[in-house]
Amino acid sequence: MPGTSVDRRLLLGTTAAAALGGMLTGFGTGKLSAPAPAATANPQGYRPFYGKYQSGILDGQQAHAVFAGWDLHWREGSKKEQLRAVLQMITDDAARLASGRGVLADTEPEMAQPGGELTLTVGLGQSLLDVAGRGQIGTLPRFAGDQLDEQYGQCDLLIQFCAQEQTVLHHAVRAVSKNLRGLGARRFAQTGFINPGGRGFRNLFGQLDGINNPGGELRESAVFGQPGWIENGTTLALRRFEMDLDGWDEVDGAGRDHALGRRQSDGAPLSGASVDDPVDLAAANELGLPAIAANAHVALAKPASADETMHRRGYNFDGAASGLLFASYQRDPATSFIPVQHRLAAADALNTWLKPVGSGLYAILPGVREGGYLGEALLGQV
Amino acid sequence: MNFRKTTALALGLGLLLTGCAQSADGQQPAPAAEQKTAGQAEALATSETWAKAAESGMSAAFGILHNNSGTPIALRKISNAQGDQIQIHEMRGTGDGMTMAQLEGDLVIEPGKDAVLAPGGHHLMFMDLQESLVAAQTARLKLEFADGSSTEVDFPIRNFDGANESYDEHAGDAHAGH
Repeated sequence: MPGTSVDRRLLLGTTAAAALGGMLTGFGTGKLSAPAPAATANPQGYRPFYGKYQSGILDGQQAHAVFAGWDLHWREGSKKEQLRAVLQMITDDAARLASGRGVLADTEPEMAQPGGELTLTVGLGQSLLDVAGRGQIGTLPRFAGDQLDEQYGQCDLLIQFCAQEQTVLHHAVRAVSKNLRGLGARRFAQTGFINPGGRGFRNLFGQLDGINNPGGELRESAVFGQPGWIENGTTLALRRFEMDLDGWDEVDGAGRDHALGRRQSDGAPLSGASVDDPVDLAAANELGLPAIAANAHVALAKPASADETMHRRGYNFDGAASGLLFASYQRDPATSFIPVQHRLAAADALNTWLKPVGSGLYAILPGVREGGYLGEALLGQV
Repeated sequence: MNFRKTTALALGLGLLLTGCAQSADGQQPAPAAEQKTAGQAEALATSETWAKAAESGMSAAFGILHNNSGTPIALRKISNAQGDQIQIHEMRGTGDGMTMAQLEGDLVIEPGKDAVLAPGGHHLMFMDLQESLVAAQTARLKLEFADGSSTEVDFPIRNFDGANESYDEHAGDAHAGH
């Protein structure tokens, strides 16, 4: 009776609060959702680099990503001036790569083409905000069930590289890493992949992830609305969840849907019939029981208020372990990501098959105008 | 040529982006606009300029120097605020046998043409750095032309493992000590 054992496991998972934390799939109400926006690349395959906001946030997800983190080294003299120099260099690198050109001193500039909708999105840990002397985002707390590996921990500098194609992506990561050699030590380069669709992507549990991401103005408001840490900037919560796919194999369809609160097949909430139906926690099934269990992932992930809304832009990973690189953008993690993640870490039915090993929070810099540099608003005029 | 004027040039993107960079000592911010004196220097447009990071000893600077005028311009002397000895070098020979040596005479750029300074080709050579060239910072060099005009050009400093060409020990007299 595999179904019986699964149900017991789910119940035990709840009561034991074996809480490993996770926030994998859709939350929010149906009316907040919208299909992902069409890619904003020009016909040559380039997404805009200059603008009010950095690219790689509100725009549609590319198929491939690398989240790379560095800890900076400091020479004698002003740390703030050294940070400014690093950000000026990264700005130049990103502007070139995003338009299909090699960086300065590039030995393989040919690899920057074709464009592949490459975006680089740059964020700073609180440590670098402290160097700049402006900005307060703090760091992520420890969540129940965290089994963090230092190699995936909080860094000084985080760059999200995304592209539709892996060669151009690899070149961009390598070119920027070469330029940062000696200026910092790269802690990690976490590679991810998805098959982008109109309604999110399939994570490695087989679930549709990102169904209820906010769209349009709601997305912009959740990510860049005020109050935030800086105008036109936002924050990125980056978490690495390993998935126990062998254990997940043992769970039948009903058990999977029960743990998620949505049908794996089409993403419809168990309280409704279609993917666009709202997550209704009051709905009852034919037995008079809640259609969506109280410890189902979507029940806990559902924003308790508009302030809890965030925009998820995660990626699958594989290798020695498989799982999800959870990446969410939100104007204020203290009112959104952190309380939601605490709820999930305490009770999410999916925690049974999740192991959080990486965690970090980054201040995503405002966009840059031509002739300016990333972080200029933070570091001020020379 | 005893008057000076400031010209905000429409330079290459790379220079614009580093327009607020500090000078090579890492402390003193520098204005974005280059200082040019009238003459051949006015005809110079630079792009893709960069210098190789080095803690000490020798290093090199590269880029594209374009002559916007209808007459040849002749680059004669390179200097910087640190007082480094900086030479214009050329590569001699081919393949693995290439060596570099100081260019004899000026680097002449014909009307409308580029002088391409690149690893393995012509380059500007720092002979013995007084201060480190630190990656991500910017080296500002003064380029003087045969008519006495001059201009300052920023060279963003980048890591580079190449540009380790060997010297022609018998060419010129400028390589003593190496």
